[in-house]
Amino acid sequence: MTGSWNNLQVPAGVRDLLPAEAAALRELEQELVAFFQSWGYQEVLTPTFEFVETFQAGSPAGDEGRLYKFIDRQGRILTLRPEMTAPIARLVATSLRREALPLRLCYSARVFRYEEPQAGRLREFHQAGVELIGAGGVAADGEIIALAVETLLQAGLQDFRLGIGQVAVTKGVLHDLGLPQEAVARIKVALAGKDLVGLERLVDEYNLTGSKRRQLELLATLHGGKEALEEARANFIQTGAAAALAGLERVWQALAAYGLEKWLFIDLGILRDFDYYTGIVFEGYVPGLGVPVCGGGRYDGLLGQFGYPCPATGFALGLERVLMARGEGQGAGQDGYLVAGRDLAAVLRRAQELRRRGVTVIIDGESQNRQEAAARAAARGLALVWVD
Amino acid sequence: MVTDLLTLALPKGKLGEDALQLLQQAGLPVDGVATEARQLVFAFPADRVRYLICRPTDVPTYVEHGAADLGIVGKDTLAEAGADVFELVDLGFGYCRFVVAAPRQRWEEAGRSLETLLAGSRRVATKFPRVAAAFFQERGLPVEIIKLHGNIELAPLVGLADLIVDIVSTGRTLKENDLVEVVPIFPSTARLIANRVSYRINYQRLRPVIEALKRAAAQGGAGIATCS
Repeated sequence: MTGSWNNLQVPAGVRDLLPAEAAALRELEQELVAFFQSWGYQEVLTPTFEFVETFQAGSPAGDEGRLYKFIDRQGRILTLRPEMTAPIARLVATSLRREALPLRLCYSARVFRYEEPQAGRLREFHQAGVELIGAGGVAADGEIIALAVETLLQAGLQDFRLGIGQVAVTKGVLHDLGLPQEAVARIKVALAGKDLVGLERLVDEYNLTGSKRRQLELLATLHGGKEALEEARANFIQTGAAAALAGLERVWQALAAYGLEKWLFIDLGILRDFDYYTGIVFEGYVPGLGVPVCGGGRYDGLLGQFGYPCPATGFALGLERVLMARGEGQGAGQDGYLVAGRDLAAVLRRAQELRRRGVTVIIDGESQNRQEAAARAAARGLALVWVD
Repeated sequence: MVTDLLTLALPKGKLGEDALQLLQQAGLPVDGVATEARQLVFAFPADRVRYLICRPTDVPTYVEHGAADLGIVGKDTLAEAGADVFELVDLGFGYCRFVVAAPRQRWEEAGRSLETLLAGSRRVATKFPRVAAAFFQERGLPVEIIKLHGNIELAPLVGLADLIVDIVSTGRTLKENDLVEVVPIFPSTARLIANRVSYRINYQRLRPVIEALKRAAAQGGAGIATCS
């Protein structure tokens, strides 16, 4: 090869979708939005880029180093949206402020993050999700988790698990430890990163013994179903976490009674973006995929950042990850007709008639005879219609 | 389906050999497994266990991407990799430590002060640029980091760098090159790491293995071994 061929490359972390992949993605998007709508969530579209301040109001993906930023002609800093929750919070706090709460909104959009690309982690990717704004409490948490499970089923996944945590339990326990702020911050980092070795060192360093030590261990490792909740209750009943834990139990009981237990487990170690979330959080996992396929939770503090304090919860799915988990991409060939003939007007007319029946029709004005057209149709897996 | 086969990534070399001893003590199958052989995958279908033999620096990558459920790797490598994995157990063996080292004479001339030493010179040679950058950044000391792949001790001898950041176990190599340890950064031992999704979704399968390794490590593990 000669020359640099730079015009043939794309930057790291972005990719083209070929026809079969594009079709699979669009179909999934449409399916999901239709499904969200069947639960009463209305779709909204927000701008691809916004002022950087929108994402600095405590948005979990608003971390400076991960934003794509540029400057407009007035010198203001713009950013490609790294997620959809902050724009929807801004939208609700402004244009939808007069609407009655709760609001149920959904979206399907491309988002942009400057991350190290790896399997399932791109710099431009598709997210679909919902936000339930203006509703706190067990009913809203239960609705969102039930919707998440059913969404994954709707997306064609069977063999997934949804792990549920409750950051208010962790926050309550940490508060009760009565440690200086710096110590709490270090313990939080260790818990959020599941650095159990680091956590053990901190427990020793701050001389935590007895029930306090046990509570921290449980926060990091408690995992399971109903029995895990019972163990948590026994250990945390005396702490500031008791109320949050009782709420988690009620959500669990409702979802189990509804029949979703086989997809769910409790893991208090799931903290996601610890400072952003305020209550129940969850992540969806699929075997063989090293990253969560969906995630979300309660973020009662965000709307207040936009001057409209109210509770909120929601979740988002990574569509590329869903497709990867389904192992798709090489979809079937096209179905439809190849209409060929010597009279172009007659060919166009016949093709239009067929399209009105809702099938795909490709016109072939090049083939000189029936045999040639038949070969072309066969090569594309289409049925031939020859117009004499 | 939730797979029942557990994949564990092991580092080649000395650390891997120590890891195998610990695995054996923890009751896991290790018959015929060698970390320096041509064979890179060792499977024990009856025990539902499989080992991948990787370059040490690649262990965090295999685990982060989910190609392995668990991995055994030195904290030194892990800190440098910055991988998004769960760090579950300190296995105790493979002890070494990160240090800043300088040529003996320059260290004496600087009055044994890192600030003074860095006042006139700020080039640091290391195999661990991430760890080195974090250390100097935390102390507000601006430095220029030069990434090398081995024999770091050579760099100050020939004027390529003024300081080095490296791992040492006994400190003999430093001494032989007339370098002195000027600041310790942090100690390192082997760690058991897990893929964050696998840890949650295959918890029932992983837990007994994690617990067994934890017990074996607590009982003295593979004895004290040091990294080279």
